[in-house]
Amino acid sequence: MAFRVAMDIGGTFTDIVVHDTETGNFTASKADTTPGRLTDGVLQAITQLRIEPGEIEYFVHGTTQGLNALLERKGANVMLITNEGMRDVYTIARGNRTRMFDIHYRKQKPLVAREDTFGVGGRVKADGTELYQLDEQRVHELAVAARERGYESIAVCLLFSFLAPEHELRIEEILREVLGEEIMIVLSHRVSGEWREYERTSSTVLEAYTGPVVRNYLEQIGERFVQTGISAQVQVMQSSGGIVSADFARQHPLQTLLSGPVGGAAGGAALSKVLATPHAICIDMGGTSFDVSLILNHAPDITTDGSADGFPVLMPLVNLHTIGAGGGSIARCAGGGLRVGPDSAGATPGPASYGRGGTEPTITDANVVLGRVDPDWFAGGRMTLDGVAASVAVERLGAEIGLGTIEAAEGVLDIANATMAQAIRTLTVEHGLEPTDFTLIAFGGAGPMHAEGIARELGVTRVIVPEYPGAFSAWGMLGADVRRDFSHQFYVQRDLLDGTELQVALRKLGDEAREVLTTQAITTDMQGVEYALDMRYIGQDYTLSIPLLGLDEVVGKDFIGDIASRFERSHRSRYGHANGAAPFEIVNIRVTGTGKSPHGHITGGSALESGGVVKNVAIVFNGETHTAPVYKRSRLIPGQRIMGPAIVLEETTTTVISPLASLTREVSGVLTMEVHPRA
Amino acid sequence: MPNISPVTTEIIRCALSQAAEDMNTTLIRSAYTPTIYEAKDCAVAILDSAHRVLGQSSGLPIFLGNLEECTRATEERFGSAVWQPGDVWVMNDAYVAGAHLNDVTIYAPIFLDDSGQDLIGFAASRAHWIDLGSKDPGGSMDSTSIYQEGLRLGATKLMSGGLEIDPIIDLIATNSRFPEPLIGDMRAQIACVRTGTSRLREITRRWGIDTVEAARDSYFAQTAQLEREAITAVPDGEYSASGRLDNDGIDIGTPIPIVVKVTVSGDRIHIDLTESADQALGPINCGRAQAVAACRVAYKALLSPDLPLNGGSFLPLTVDVRQGSVLGAQEPAAVQYYYSHLGLLIDLVVTALSPAMPDRAAAASYGDSLIVQMMGTDPRTQMPFLSQEATVGGWGAWAGSDGESCLINNVNGSLRDMPVEVMETLFPVRIERYEVREGSGGAGEWRGGDGVIRKYVFEADQDLSLWWERSVTPAWGLFGGGSGQAPRVRLNPGTQDERELLKANAIRVRAGDVLLCESGGGGGYGNA
Repeated sequence: MAFRVAMDIGGTFTDIVVHDTETGNFTASKADTTPGRLTDGVLQAITQLRIEPGEIEYFVHGTTQGLNALLERKGANVMLITNEGMRDVYTIARGNRTRMFDIHYRKQKPLVAREDTFGVGGRVKADGTELYQLDEQRVHELAVAARERGYESIAVCLLFSFLAPEHELRIEEILREVLGEEIMIVLSHRVSGEWREYERTSSTVLEAYTGPVVRNYLEQIGERFVQTGISAQVQVMQSSGGIVSADFARQHPLQTLLSGPVGGAAGGAALSKVLATPHAICIDMGGTSFDVSLILNHAPDITTDGSADGFPVLMPLVNLHTIGAGGGSIARCAGGGLRVGPDSAGATPGPASYGRGGTEPTITDANVVLGRVDPDWFAGGRMTLDGVAASVAVERLGAEIGLGTIEAAEGVLDIANATMAQAIRTLTVEHGLEPTDFTLIAFGGAGPMHAEGIARELGVTRVIVPEYPGAFSAWGMLGADVRRDFSHQFYVQRDLLDGTELQVALRKLGDEAREVLTTQAITTDMQGVEYALDMRYIGQDYTLSIPLLGLDEVVGKDFIGDIASRFERSHRSRYGHANGAAPFEIVNIRVTGTGKSPHGHITGGSALESGGVVKNVAIVFNGETHTAPVYKRSRLIPGQRIMGPAIVLEETTTTVISPLASLTREVSGVLTMEVHPRA
Repeated sequence: MPNISPVTTEIIRCALSQAAEDMNTTLIRSAYTPTIYEAKDCAVAILDSAHRVLGQSSGLPIFLGNLEECTRATEERFGSAVWQPGDVWVMNDAYVAGAHLNDVTIYAPIFLDDSGQDLIGFAASRAHWIDLGSKDPGGSMDSTSIYQEGLRLGATKLMSGGLEIDPIIDLIATNSRFPEPLIGDMRAQIACVRTGTSRLREITRRWGIDTVEAARDSYFAQTAQLEREAITAVPDGEYSASGRLDNDGIDIGTPIPIVVKVTVSGDRIHIDLTESADQALGPINCGRAQAVAACRVAYKALLSPDLPLNGGSFLPLTVDVRQGSVLGAQEPAAVQYYYSHLGLLIDLVVTALSPAMPDRAAAASYGDSLIVQMMGTDPRTQMPFLSQEATVGGWGAWAGSDGESCLINNVNGSLRDMPVEVMETLFPVRIERYEVREGSGGAGEWRGGDGVIRKYVFEADQDLSLWWERSVTPAWGLFGGGSGQAPRVRLNPGTQDERELLKANAIRVRAGDVLLCESGGGGGYGNA
């Protein structure tokens, strides 16, 4: 027997998906997350699987260690070293406001206070040459101060270090001499090769802040695996949607920051290949959250200009958009009108139906009132809801705005679906695409419940509910490739471009990528290296990443014309217009190294039981009460088609099908919903 | 009018407001110049056929609710029969729109279909254009007439039946020193109004004209009711405040008074600006629409920061502006720096109402964009360059918190500072210090925020322009709080050549010269 195991460690529960490589079967389960002792939780979850340690041949997981440390502000005590005169770059934080009419505006509190930031003499100029020598004496003093004050890690960010890293490297050397090998030292040029000192400082500080806790955790879990007799190497999901080994992640802990939630996007990308649908919208809706990511041409939409809890991160991240507050969004009356969100009841007190003291109606309460949630079977039977409390809350709201309870509940859902759909449309518009070009993939506890309503608002006609929608992030990790991204500033205007110089720079990053893949035991035939240029018209800020055909083309005689026309095409498709005559400039070069998952892509497929309707329930659509059959997903027969109204029930998720939709249980195991337009 | 459910109203309201977001996204993602995509010096709106705002997305706060002036003025000039499907218009007349000539509004009528039968509204977008041929590149600090400030366009048809009118495009391009990015930004704005056009059509086709109109009336009424409730909670009375701008950039010794009188009675607010200074010779005048917009920013900050913006907004607010004053400019007043007194005006309205709303108010902020502009030829590339920067500073404290330090001023949008690495790569200049100006915030129970220090060393001979304000009336405190320090700019400090200056128009500086800029702090709140 041989198994591949994936775990998505959430705040409360850990989702586990196991793939039996001999039978091809998948099983999903849940275990309690053990905050503070995550390693114990992972090992307990493995024990619970009843698999022999020796039978685990692959183990991948999403760790929330770093993100939790950030969100709870429980990271390391960081010392920040920067250039003399630039001490406040990090706290000035580019001086911008995000709320335009707030005269009580305060910036986010930085992770390193001004008192913990120190300037050092020495400067490198914009061309990479040294202007002033490094003040080594001062670095020595700071090293001693670091020991005296008990800093747990040190972030170093100097101007133009990505062009000339010598000063940063020398600082590291001196710090090591005084402080030894144990303390974590993060140098900005290793975190990012891109310009903009605030963003690079922020990324460097984030690594220093979250790194020690991530590193500890990865070391612990590696040791525990050895003790338990698991020979599989621990693999970790990165924020970019690719996998790296724990050894690598330990050196670059920041890359795991969004490790957990991006599994869904990785799963969406894997599914889009299986289903041959190039563009997909992934919606992950839970009790108190609603996250959206896009799949474009079978790959997750990646941003290189992202942020984590408001702090910029200069590295590729899956573009994960949080919209509203999922099931916890509160509905209220304002000025005689009806509003849903943005305020959330959260988990505590939570929706009225949670019975934890919440009295305001939420989206979850509206679902309860309309019969779309079974109050006796919530969160996979882990919770029972108070249907009466939900009705009372919705009825009170309805009375305020002159609607009956049922009307008000449907209204709340209609508004929620419409506003979520509109926000999704804006995301596709940013890519120059209309939502009708996409398939909707719905997962998370509440995603499949709202999918039809959101799809109809968007004009999307096809909705996919994957297998194990409650554990889809874990499922997605099993199919993700190994991925490493490299980038470096390479600023040059069209007329000054030297193809040979560009080729040298690209080759250098490409070699780095291959080296890293090799250290992760990816054999040469499984390695892929892709090159791209971040380009823009001179004067623009946003860049477009234009893929290169290979290293050779950049020294070809037609290169400038070719790349200009590719850039122009890409600009036109993204923005709707382009300026063929205008000169372009190159800002950064990018290299992505990928290692094909040696286990191939997963295709789903699980054991079947025959059967059909388990019961009938009353459910409201468009003001009418219908008697709808409830199907158990595991009992649907491949190819079976269900006409709405109906409900498909499984462990942690409910799929709701209105009279205007139908659903097919595909041979591959996924459910496909056909959404018909409004009559 | 059909009886409309609050659910339908809310769905349509959200759809129209998201449609404006889609327009804004289209504009910002495709703009060529950092003033738009970085500083968000732009605004967009979808209007109904009576020029009322259905949905708005505001990048720049002081463009609040005055895009409709352009469609309205066009209709007044040419009659409503002038609107045809597929047409797109352009206008930058400062006295109509209120701002300066660089702020160009592009707008289009929206018909239900191409037959042109039913006019259902307008899509409008305003954005800052890099250069329209003013006497100095990027705008003059010493103009004395609008005729020195560039190409001035009344309502001008830019596209007819969906096609660009080439001679007009050529006319605009020919008048700019930087035609390529300018035409790029113009097309971004056209793409933006097209997005608005298709969205409003989709929404209207789905729900029907009658339902959309009923929803509109209903959510306008909701917004108006919420604002009236907020004003009713403010004690009735007459409140006032006044302050002075340093000068008009020409007559350096003469400050310019701005006087604000606010009357709150019941659910209405009236702001009287008529006692402010006469229009000035230098470029600090603005059109009436812009003075009204600044009052709306203060109103919104105090009363309704979280309410949606639409045709129901600001109905309880009336503003009295004297034509021929610095806030009601008339031809041929120069308007390039139309916003310096607007920053002051916003602080003054907040201060005037502070006795009535002590918890909502905040002390004054450092107050101006504090522009540093460099131009010349970069010896490294032999290419011409133009750098324009705004400077961050300290904001006022309020009950319960110190003011924020090093934050961009209130008339700007989400503008971010220029990174040192970007500045030094693109322009022949080095930045040696970028630090908090410690102790520059006003004292108080709650301290004002601190300003910033930015020290430049020029690496090549070039021309320097400065527009720094608010030294005569630095950020004042509230309820016993102290004033913030005034801004200060020195050229070659500590040398024999040291010069103090706050405003300058294209003065020559040499390689090796040092410019030390220190921005003002914010006012304190309460006795220290």
